Amino acid sequence: MTRLEQFIAFSALLTGEEAVALSGTGVAAELLAALDEITGAALTDELLARFAALPAGMQAEQAAGDSIMADPRLGPVARNVILLWLTGSWTQLPDAWRDSFGASPSDRNHVISAQSYQAGLQWTIAGAHPSGALQQGYGAWAMAPGSTAP
Amino acid sequence: MHLYMNIRRRNDLDALQQDETYDAVIVGSGPSGAILALELCQAGKRVLMLEAATETGKGFDGYQSLLTRFYSRVGKDNQSPFPVNPNALMPRGSELRKLASGETNSDSYIVQSGPYVSDTVYTRAFGGTSMHWEAKTPRMLREDFKTRTTFAQGLDWPLSYEDIEPDYRRVEREMGVAGEVEDHDGLDLSFPPGYVFPMHGLPLSYLDQQVGKGIDGSSVVLDGQTYPIKVRPYPQARNGVPNDKYDGGEGFTPQGAVASYQIDQGGRCQGNTNCVPLCPVQAKYHSGKTLAKAFATGRLDLLSQAVASKVSIDGATGLVSEIEVKVYHDPDHSAHRTIKVKAKIFILAANAIETPRLLLASGLKSSSGLVGRNLMDHAYLLNWALLPEVAGTFRGTSCTGGIVDLRAGSFRRNQAAFAVDIHNDGWGWATGSPFSDLQQLVDQRNMFGAELQKGLVDRLSRQLLLAFMIEVMPNESNRITVDPSYTDALGNMRPVLSMTIPDYTMRGAAYARQFARTIFSRLGAQDCTAYDPGDYGLVPYHGENYAIRGGNHLAGTHVMGTAKNNSVVDRDQRSWDHSNLYLVGGGSMPTIGTANVTPTLAALAYRSARAILRQLDGQTTAPSGLS
Repeated sequence: MTRLEQFIAFSALLTGEEAVALSGTGVAAELLAALDEITGAALTDELLARFAALPAGMQAEQAAGDSIMADPRLGPVARNVILLWLTGSWTQLPDAWRDSFGASPSDRNHVISAQSYQAGLQWTIAGAHPSGALQQGYGAWAMAPGSTAP
Repeated sequence: MHLYMNIRRRNDLDALQQDETYDAVIVGSGPSGAILALELCQAGKRVLMLEAATETGKGFDGYQSLLTRFYSRVGKDNQSPFPVNPNALMPRGSELRKLASGETNSDSYIVQSGPYVSDTVYTRAFGGTSMHWEAKTPRMLREDFKTRTTFAQGLDWPLSYEDIEPDYRRVEREMGVAGEVEDHDGLDLSFPPGYVFPMHGLPLSYLDQQVGKGIDGSSVVLDGQTYPIKVRPYPQARNGVPNDKYDGGEGFTPQGAVASYQIDQGGRCQGNTNCVPLCPVQAKYHSGKTLAKAFATGRLDLLSQAVASKVSIDGATGLVSEIEVKVYHDPDHSAHRTIKVKAKIFILAANAIETPRLLLASGLKSSSGLVGRNLMDHAYLLNWALLPEVAGTFRGTSCTGGIVDLRAGSFRRNQAAFAVDIHNDGWGWATGSPFSDLQQLVDQRNMFGAELQKGLVDRLSRQLLLAFMIEVMPNESNRITVDPSYTDALGNMRPVLSMTIPDYTMRGAAYARQFARTIFSRLGAQDCTAYDPGDYGLVPYHGENYAIRGGNHLAGTHVMGTAKNNSVVDRDQRSWDHSNLYLVGGGSMPTIGTANVTPTLAALAYRSARAILRQLDGQTTAPSGLS
C-alpha cells in the first residue's frame, strides 16, 4: 500500500465513504499534501501507523475511537482530516492543541483549492451537491433526494 | 443561444473629453443602465456608459474567474466572488460589527452608527448587482402603488399598476422570466388575456412540496380576515423550458452565457443552488446579456474603471453641463486622472445608495431636499426549523417557492405585509450551515464513520429556513448622507447610512415570528430559531429581540412624485430641477411593497427610455407631472 492509499483507507474509516469514492474525487493527494504541510509529515505518518495497527473489519471503527479519536494529540488532527474531506478546507486547530503541540503558520482557516471545495463530501453525503458545482440538473430538485442514509 | 460580447471601449481620454457627440451618458452598468443603453442605442442614439469597477465578468473567462474566486473563499458571502477594489468599494457583511447607540463604524465602506446596523449590500462590478441578485421577479401588487390612499401608510405612486403593466411584460421578455400566470391566482395584480411568461415556471423543490403537504389548504386569521395559505412558485429570471404559447405562439429563445466565442452554456438552469452570489452557468439573467445586445449596435461605448465623482450644473440654465470622472489604471493604486464627459442627457443608474451619494457629493440636494431620504430596504426575519423527515435541502435554485398570501390585505393599515421564501439552501443565511453543523457533529459530538454519515443526512437534509421579506415604508429620517471625513482611496465621499426599523415593520416582524411558529407546528417541525443578543441587526420590540437582516432591495432615495416640492423625479424619473438629468433605479420608487425591486425598477427604465427619446427628438421640454 502506498502512503496515499493508506491515507485514503484511513479517510474512508473517518468519513464512512468508500475508498473508491474518495479516490474518485481526484483531490486525495492534494489533501494529503496539505495535511503534511500544515501539521508535518511525521504527524501524518504517526496517524497512518496508528490506523494500520487497528484490528480489521467491523471492530476498526470502535478501536479507532479509542486509539485515535480520543488521543489528545492525534484526535483533533483526525477530526480536521474529516472536515478537510467534508469541506475541502482546513479549519484551524483548537487553541488548546496549538498551545500544547505547536502552532504551524499554515494552521489557519483556508480553502485548499477551488477543486477541493467542489469535491467536499458534506453535500453529496446529504443527497445534495456543492453549492455552485456538480449540479444535479434542471428540475432534479423537485424529486426526492437520491442518496439518503448509507 | 449564447450572446457575443464585443465591447467598444474608450481609452482615448483626451479625445473623450472633447467629444460632444454623445446623446447620453449613463453612470452604471446594472439592469437600469443596461436597459436604457439598449433602448437608446436601438433607436439610433450614441451612448457612453461609465462603470466604476473593472470589466472583469464581462466575458466568459472573466466570469469564470469570479466563480473560481468564489470556490476559493473561506467566507462564501454574497460578495465573495468580487475582489476588493479600494477605488470602487462595495459594502460587505464581513466588515460589520454590533454598535452601541451613537457608536460609529467607519471601517466598513458604508459608514453606520448604532444601534441598528444594516447588512444590506450591492455590487460594484460590471453588471452591477445583477451579478449576485437572486433573480426572483414578482411584480408589485395593484394596492402597493397607492398605500397612502388605501392604508394611510407610506406614499402613493404617481403611477398605477395599469400604467406600469406593459413595461413589466417588457422586463419579463428581456430578462427571460420563467413562471406561470396561474400561480398568481388571488393576488392583486392582472395580466392581459392569454398572456404567458416566456418560459414555464421552474418546478417547486421537493422541500417546497413537503412544506406544501403540511400547509396547503390551511388558513390564518389576521385583522378579522381569513387568509388561505399555500406554497406556490415564484417567477424567476432564470432559464427554464420555453413556453411555445409565448408571444402569440412565436415562442421564446432563452439567452445563455455571454462570451466572445462560441460557448453553449446557461440555456437552462441546472440547479446549482448558488444563484446568490453567482450563477455558475449564467442561466440567471445578468445585465451583461442586455449590454451584449447594446454593444452589438455599435453605438454604445464603455469607459470602465471610471468613477463618476461630480455632476456639474450650468448656473444659467440649470442643466447638467458635464460629469467629472476619476479614471484609474490599477484597482490597487489610487493614481487616477480626472476628466469631464459631456452629453445631451445624463442618466445616473448607480443604485439607490450610490446615486444619491453622487448627487449629495455634488451638492445637489434637490428643491425638495429629498435626495438621500426615504431610504428603504426590505427587512428580513429568518426562522429556521428541522422537518420530521428528510426533505432534500441544499438542492435547486436558491429559492423556488414561498407563501405570498399575506402580501395584501386590510391589515396593512396596522402592520407591514410580507412574502415568505422557502430557502432551498438550508440554514446557511441564518447559522452558517452546513459548516456550523459539521463542526458540531465532528468537533463537539465526535462523530465519524457511519455515524457521521447518518448524522449529516439527519442534520442537513431536514433543514427548513423561512425568510420573511417584510415591507418597509418610506420615512424621511432613514437616509443616505455624505461627510467629507469619510472618503475612499480616490477621495470620493463614502455613503453614510442612518436607518431604524419602523414600528409598522416590527409589528409585521412580530407577526411573522408567530406565523412561522404556526407553520412549523403544522409541519411537525422543530423550531430551532434563536436570535443572538450580540447580533448587529438586533431590534428589540415589545420585550422580544428580533435579528433583522437587510434585503439588498434598496429604494426611495430620489423619490418619484407629482411635483417639485414633494419629490426628486417625475414619473419618467426625470429630475424636476435639471431637465436633462434622469435618476433611474430603485431610488425612484415611493414604496416597495413585498416585491423584490429589480423587476419594477427595470420596468421604470423602459418608461424613462421612451421619455428620453421624446426629449432627444424634441417632442417634450417640460417635466412629466400628473397625466
